[in-house]
Amino acid sequence: MNQMTETMFDQICGILRAHTKVETKIEPETLIGADLAIDSVEMFDLVMEIEEQYDISFPLEEASDIDTVQSLVTAIERITNV
Amino acid sequence: MFDTEANKNTVFAKFEKLSERVDKLRAAGRTPFGMRFDEMLSQTRARVGNAEILLAGTNNYLGLTYDADVMEAAKQAIDTHGTATTGSRLANGTYSLHLDLETDLKEYFGAASAMVCTTGYQANLAALSTLAGRGDHLLIDADSHACIYDACRLSDAETIRFRHNSPEDLNKRLSRLPAEGARLVVIEGLYSMLGDVAPVAEFVEVAHSNGAMIFVDEAHSIGCYGENGRGVSQAQGVLDKVDFISGTFSKSFASIGGFCVSRHEALELIRLVSRPYLFTASGSPANMAAARASLKVIASDTTLRKQLWDRVHQLYSGLTDAGFTISSPPGPIMAISRPDEHVAVAEWNQLMDQGVYVNLAVPPATPQAKSLLRLSVSAAHTEADIDQLIAAFRGLAKGD
Repeated sequence: MNQMTETMFDQICGILRAHTKVETKIEPETLIGADLAIDSVEMFDLVMEIEEQYDISFPLEEASDIDTVQSLVTAIERITNV
Repeated sequence: MFDTEANKNTVFAKFEKLSERVDKLRAAGRTPFGMRFDEMLSQTRARVGNAEILLAGTNNYLGLTYDADVMEAAKQAIDTHGTATTGSRLANGTYSLHLDLETDLKEYFGAASAMVCTTGYQANLAALSTLAGRGDHLLIDADSHACIYDACRLSDAETIRFRHNSPEDLNKRLSRLPAEGARLVVIEGLYSMLGDVAPVAEFVEVAHSNGAMIFVDEAHSIGCYGENGRGVSQAQGVLDKVDFISGTFSKSFASIGGFCVSRHEALELIRLVSRPYLFTASGSPANMAAARASLKVIASDTTLRKQLWDRVHQLYSGLTDAGFTISSPPGPIMAISRPDEHVAVAEWNQLMDQGVYVNLAVPPATPQAKSLLRLSVSAAHTEADIDQLIAAFRGLAKGD
């Protein structure tokens, strides 16, 4: 991970921790649904929060493809053109 | 009981958790989803087993399902046209009934075009999935009904959600979009779960100032809001500025079917390319005739709307006096948020024990993962009916 991605990864981890009750180390390959027990309804709120933070809009189709923390970071990078 | 071993590695394996959830609901009493009504006694009463139940979760806002003219129109349509059309609108399924209803809808809304579909769900699917194509953007309210989400999935356009009922958030998201491609904003006049009304006039302003068209689903609001019942768009004075209005015949219209009207004549063209419109049988003669007869009542009879709103205010006052917090200001839909699904299910069963049916709504069908007891008021409810409802809820508050 480059430095910018690393910073974003840390920021995303912070947001994810606020949405999960599971106490586990969050890695790039951590599954947001299965490992962090964030359901589809919670995921909705999570995406809205990320959109606010990065001033972006997630296309719905893209949001539904996100499974791991890395895929979330990659999607944000793509939208923000990092 | 889910047979884990028998269903292992089959298409049913994914439903194990759902099955466990349904088992828990059944263990708490009746099955609230897909409940069996043995006999309808009136717009507001049904027999369930041996019990007569007061209905307060039907979306039958004007109570027209037993209106003499509406019933007669449906019966006559069967006598004249038979029970079904057995074909698509584009093939053999367009009768004079469908075209007359489209003419009536155009006249009622002052629209240039009208398209009647087989259900309300299909009306949104047919219009939205076809209007917005590749390279276009659909901007939808986050609390949109499932049919709007499904329409987006069927469309080749990119879909962006904005915060519920927030013209500010919509404005921000519109300003981020590239200049290329068309933009279509989709909202509902009255939201079906929490009963909250959209600031349609503000949304129209934001959409048009950003070069977008606006589509308002008035499924729950037609018949209830605005002079002559044309919906929230009319109530807020922007009916002539809204680009598309969709609705259903399954609520105030006391039938089944749906429609989309537009001030743009070009809507007519999508009939030839809209898959949900083309590849399904058209509405039955009885349903089309009932919807047409209901439209006449909705357009001309203001007494039913007044009765509806009298009962709305009576119920709202009674429930708030009993200590309940209603999710939105007074309206035909009232939702009461419960602490969790377990409490909501238990209370729903208690209400049934007291002879009252309301809707139980639980995640993921609800906004913000709420567990709700949802009521819908009808003009056919009497003052005594509303008193009975309030008394049943007072029983819950006391823990009776």
